[in-house]
Amino acid sequence: MAVEVKGMKTWSGLAKKRRRPSEYEVVTTNLQTRTRHPDQAYELSPAPLLEMNEFYKRHVSESPLQHPDWEGFRDPDEMIYRVYTRIQDQQEQYVDGLLDEHNEIGHDATLSDAWLDVLERLYTPRRFLQMALQMGAAYLVQIAPASTITACAGFQDGDEFRWLSRCAYRARELQRAHPERGFGETERRTWEEEPAWQGFRELLEKTLATYDWGEHFVALNLVAKPAADEAHRQLGRIGRRFDDGLLGLMADNQMRDSERSRRWSAGLVAFSLENEGNAAVLSGWIEKWVPLARQAVTAYCGALPEQDDAANAALGAVESFHRSLGLDA
Amino acid sequence: MALLEMHEWYDLARDTNWTPGYVAEDEIFPPELSDPFGISVEQWETFDEPYKVCYRDYVETQRDKDIGAYSVKSALARADFFKKASPHWKALLALHFSPIGFAEFHSASAFARMTRFSRAPGMRNMATFGTLDEMRHGQIQMYFAYEFIKQDRVFDWAHKSSKTENWIIISLRHALDDVEHTRDAISAAIMTNFAFEQCFTNLQFIGLSADAAKAGDHTFATMLQSIQTDEARHAQIGTPLIQIMIENGRKAEAQQLVDVGFWRIWKQFSALSGISMDYYTPLEFREHSLKEFMHEWVVDQFGRNIKALGLDLPWYWDYFLHDIETFHHCQQIGIYVYRATQWWRPIACTSPAERDWLEEKYPGWNDTYGKCWDVVADNIREGRFERTVPVVPPLICNMCGLEVTGVAGVGRQVDGRTWNATNFHLDHEGRRYHFCSEPCKWVFELEPARYQGHRSIIDRVLDGTVPPGPDGFYEYMGQSFEERGVCGYDYQWIDGYDMPRAAAAE
Ligand SMILES: [Fe+2]
Ligand SMILES: [Fe+2]
Repeated sequence: MAVEVKGMKTWSGLAKKRRRPSEYEVVTTNLQTRTRHPDQAYELSPAPLLEMNEFYKRHVSESPLQHPDWEGFRDPDEMIYRVYTRIQDQQEQYVDGLLDEHNEIGHDATLSDAWLDVLERLYTPRRFLQMALQMGAAYLVQIAPASTITACAGFQDGDEFRWLSRCAYRARELQRAHPERGFGETERRTWEEEPAWQGFRELLEKTLATYDWGEHFVALNLVAKPAADEAHRQLGRIGRRFDDGLLGLMADNQMRDSERSRRWSAGLVAFSLENEGNAAVLSGWIEKWVPLARQAVTAYCGALPEQDDAANAALGAVESFHRSLGLDA
Repeated sequence: MALLEMHEWYDLARDTNWTPGYVAEDEIFPPELSDPFGISVEQWETFDEPYKVCYRDYVETQRDKDIGAYSVKSALARADFFKKASPHWKALLALHFSPIGFAEFHSASAFARMTRFSRAPGMRNMATFGTLDEMRHGQIQMYFAYEFIKQDRVFDWAHKSSKTENWIIISLRHALDDVEHTRDAISAAIMTNFAFEQCFTNLQFIGLSADAAKAGDHTFATMLQSIQTDEARHAQIGTPLIQIMIENGRKAEAQQLVDVGFWRIWKQFSALSGISMDYYTPLEFREHSLKEFMHEWVVDQFGRNIKALGLDLPWYWDYFLHDIETFHHCQQIGIYVYRATQWWRPIACTSPAERDWLEEKYPGWNDTYGKCWDVVADNIREGRFERTVPVVPPLICNMCGLEVTGVAGVGRQVDGRTWNATNFHLDHEGRRYHFCSEPCKWVFELEPARYQGHRSIIDRVLDGTVPPGPDGFYEYMGQSFEERGVCGYDYQWIDGYDMPRAAAAE
């Protein structure tokens, strides 16, 4: 005879919330193993014996950004994998439609020389910027002290790869339409040498070399990514005036992903503010990183044609995002 | 549609390396996280993933997979199946689901290390899908486990196990953190993608799936197979890495990574899949024994793969072949007799008919393991239940975290040596470490600093970390009174089950 078996309403770890948990909470919370012991994130020799335990201790346990229970963080979008693939499949279908439509009408052949110069110089090299953003998100995935943060960063990692891929795709289309130009050939050199990109390159390289998890989050998600994406929005906006409606529509679509990143980032800031002292830490980091972003946006947007204040528009959007975080109070 | 095919543009998506100008290259790619082997970036750029997927196709394929796996109809069937499932199958499901949610989700981080720190652009791209895949595997298995919790609180451990200090969870975390999470991107990828995923995930996700299909648990079978399709894709990161290592004079290092990774993961699967396949699966639904499955899917395939790559079989190969036939039988005894230390309801699975099967699949089983089970059965027959539980704590291996077992007669001549699975030990910096086997000891000796500071559950009892008193041990392991395992058949198995086993099928 089998022994008596009893059930329970929900995970014991969610029971004290006294409300029905969402699917997101059921499948995403409390899955992190790294935060059980400050000097032993990984189940091997504690710090300093095992380098990786020392690494995690230095960059997470001893980070200036502290919260007693990071696992309490919730993504405001409650994004889960099976919804992510559904949404992004739909969005990719939309982008496929745009590309198909524009290709059918020979869009790329109609672009002016002046605008092709812009695309070659300020659009297709973006895939290197996307790579940096992707690598930055991947760092958050592996260092985050909560599974709910890892999940948000994981989807962001996917999003960055999405736009890296679309940018590579467009480079090849433009190369086919204009083989005499540098599309598909010169992007790396442009990214490394073109003055308009150097601010972003500096900002992103320095972000990647920042390993404190909290500062990396601020540098990437509160400063570098919003700045890079807002600059791209300006490129798309100006594209419309040069009869490149495709770029504008694609940039709009990319902003959907960017805004999701801002929603969870703002959510994480709000959650962090439960802990006194974090406001000053976060503000301090923002102040530290914003000048690099300002320099990056100014250089990039300044190179756009007929840019009528694109830099200020982009920077204004980044600043209003910062104001929305409730750090000034 | 006037759209480009992937092969017409994907080369550009893999051309994403640049030379840092504002920080030193090592600040973005520290060798200890990126590549401690000193292989040039030009060499890494030759990384060519055997199977290419683009983001656009990925989200479509994966969306479709999930629509199938999560269908409402199958959820109803699953709940219904569970209600009627035997204690055998419930123990199997508990063993599978309890640790797998966090373990898979944690793997997302291992792939993220590859995306962040690899200098091979194609690898960074593929690893991004790996991160997403492993989030999927964590989430879908949490979802399935959650469906059972209303009926059986054992499944709470799918959610809570990640942070407990239960000895089985410690053992698993130790292996996974060693292989996947605490090394540079290249080493971790060779160990994770090649030694772990390419060699072993088949075992749980194809082998167990076959048993599940036969048992009528179709949605579980489908889910396992669906997960394995992702594993089979992202596991391919390993092969080109090994090729690049060999071409650049790092064959010995690659070999060692494979040997360590393979051994560490084998120990985990031996216990997990071994007990699931040869014990917890109801007799009439067993597709293959662990040994048969291991020979077909691991020994032969791995043997072929490794030679094709230009590596050799691990030095412990003969011992490994011996271990396939022995280790999990010992562990099953330990798991049953120390059942209160587990959160699920362990079952013996050594009723007379099951013993016949074991003897047939593992000739000599009766004379070795069977004798231990005779003692257990005699005590039950006499009503001396307390004597079915050992009074002394087990010896735990300081590498794999599983029990160091010594079953009379198990020691066997391999390669002219007698392998007694008892008490391989090592004195290191004033401490004695115990190991279940020569390879576990060998792994320790390769990198003592990596392991020497870790304390097994028994070490923690002895050094006072575990609070004293009769409940201290269990409370330390996160087990309230109701969460301590009891015999799933309430001892009524020794002469056969009074519950018809076929109940699991209908
Ligand atoms: Fe997986
Ligand atoms: Fe995997």
